[in-house]
Amino acid sequence: MMGRLGKAAMLGTAMLSLSACVQTRQIADLQFTPPQGDYKLLVMRPDVTVGSVKAGGLTEPRADWTETARTHLVTALRAQQAGRGGQTTILDRRDALPGVSADMVAELERLHNAVGSSIALHKFMGYELPTKRGRGLDYTLGEEAVKLGRATNYDYALFLYAEDSFADGGRVALQVLGIAGCFVGFCAPNIGGGGQSAYASLVDLRTGEVVWFNVLQAGSQVAGIKFGDIRKPEGAAQLVERLLGRMKPGRDVRRAQAAAGQNK
Amino acid sequence: MLAGAGAALVAAPASARIRPGSMQPLIGPGYKPVDTDEKGLWAQMERVEEEVAGSNLLIKDPELNRYLQGLIGRVGGPAAKDMRIYLARVPEFNAMMFPTGFTVFFSGLLLRMRDEAQLAGVIAHEASHFLLKHQIRSWRDMKRKTNIFAALAMAAGVAGGATGTYTGDLVRLAELGTMLTLFRYSRQLEAESDALGLKLIADAGYSPISMSETWDQLITELEWSARERRKRVRRDFSLFSTHPAPRERLRDLDLSAREYAVAGKSYERGRERYLQALQPIRQTLFEDQVRLNDPGASQYIVETLAKDGWNGQLLFTRGEIHRLRNGQAHQQAAALNYAQAVTYPDAPADAWRWHGVMLMKQGREAEGRTALQRYLAMAPNAPDAPFVRQMIQS
Repeated sequence: MMGRLGKAAMLGTAMLSLSACVQTRQIADLQFTPPQGDYKLLVMRPDVTVGSVKAGGLTEPRADWTETARTHLVTALRAQQAGRGGQTTILDRRDALPGVSADMVAELERLHNAVGSSIALHKFMGYELPTKRGRGLDYTLGEEAVKLGRATNYDYALFLYAEDSFADGGRVALQVLGIAGCFVGFCAPNIGGGGQSAYASLVDLRTGEVVWFNVLQAGSQVAGIKFGDIRKPEGAAQLVERLLGRMKPGRDVRRAQAAAGQNK
Repeated sequence: MLAGAGAALVAAPASARIRPGSMQPLIGPGYKPVDTDEKGLWAQMERVEEEVAGSNLLIKDPELNRYLQGLIGRVGGPAAKDMRIYLARVPEFNAMMFPTGFTVFFSGLLLRMRDEAQLAGVIAHEASHFLLKHQIRSWRDMKRKTNIFAALAMAAGVAGGATGTYTGDLVRLAELGTMLTLFRYSRQLEAESDALGLKLIADAGYSPISMSETWDQLITELEWSARERRKRVRRDFSLFSTHPAPRERLRDLDLSAREYAVAGKSYERGRERYLQALQPIRQTLFEDQVRLNDPGASQYIVETLAKDGWNGQLLFTRGEIHRLRNGQAHQQAAALNYAQAVTYPDAPADAWRWHGVMLMKQGREAEGRTALQRYLAMAPNAPDAPFVRQMIQS
């Protein structure tokens, strides 16, 4: 016996459950194999920002949350890489690398910013370039990256970006009002607010090429429901695991492995 | 209720002039934020300053930067020592202050200033944004208004749902009203900066009328520019403008200067000092401006700066403006200007080259060769020296 209240509750639950998800998608060079053995990884300054979403929809940056999140992310990164073998260094200042000027690091950061945006646009947002079809991840940071590799002896460089935001009290209250409105005919259950987005980009410093790229989106269209909180150690570890923990080889390598598996 | 709010804001009258004497800085030396939202803003701005400081658009001449830093020290109020000033090579009249106390000035602004007092006026205006905490106030205003709007819109929706009425149009009107108040607040803050800026430069001994002069110059430049292009001046001002209309600023600054200036006190202009400080880059600034291909504006700038006296550099620039235009009349005007420019001791080498070329074109070959030889003597390693040598020999 479903009263009007029961129906509304069911509808609301259905909307809530459909309105949140965690998505990752990785793209790699056709010949990419994940780093293994005794490799040296340089993690560039992680770009982290955490903010608070206000009732009106503006996201206000929070310095304290950002610092906490950055610390936890760095710890989680170290732990995750320690489990994989190889040596990892995480950069915290541009001039912290011996033998390399701060300017060179700055130039690489800016270049990667541009290249990363292109990758995001052409590989993840659907504006595919016809000349790059079927060629895996066909992007490079060029000679500067190779120079950096030679000067510092690192094999790989990892660029990381993580953004998280949380709905504040006012936003959650507005969300509640929106759901309550469902009972009187003005239904606004998905005003959203808060969510995580992150990317990780692996550059092979021996060739300068971007060999692997992964994007993570975790968000809820219902303000107040969270999917991981990078201000906490567990949340940061979860982000790192989702982003870096399931690195798959490139398409050609996977096909070769599958064929070898079949032929046994 | 919401509809009324929207309509009232559309019909709002122009705001009253803010009196300089009533303005006080809100921060002192060594200011650091304590509120959470302001700390967040500052943290973000650190990254921005890092990128600005490393930009390849910056003019890094150490003497000039020292001069600008000194100037900001004189008119920057109590927090003057905390402010940083970056000079970017952009040929436009603009300057901006960021929440953490660093400011970026465009080189086009330096070109247009006639003396130190005018530049001090702009510096003081920008410094006032920092001294009056405009950025965080603006952010808080935006936050408050969008929060209120979202809550009211939701409430209106729910109420409408409960009573069976459609409130969508009212909500849209309220949204417009909200946006208009955001812009009006921005204009108010800009007017505050004008007022405090005037007070700061007058107290530092600079002629306060210089600020209204700057606006007069800018307005006229836009008119000359439009006239040459046979267009009407873009009346950019509207209810959506972030700054008050230029004429309104001109009028208010003029009134404020007359009111605030102390009768009988002698204020300085600092013209000589300014021209000397600018000397290393002034030729570049003229070139950048001429290359914008806006002859009306470039002409106005040259004529305005020439009010303090013509010299070789100004006449050469006027020649360049004409030379790059089509038609016999302009080419002849260019030739005349070059001929006049080279009679001054400060004529740049390029003036001699173009003077020589123009003479050759007129058939006055001997004089042309002499001028070109003078060019080669002044700039023996110029990129076109081989061509010029060939012109002389042929």
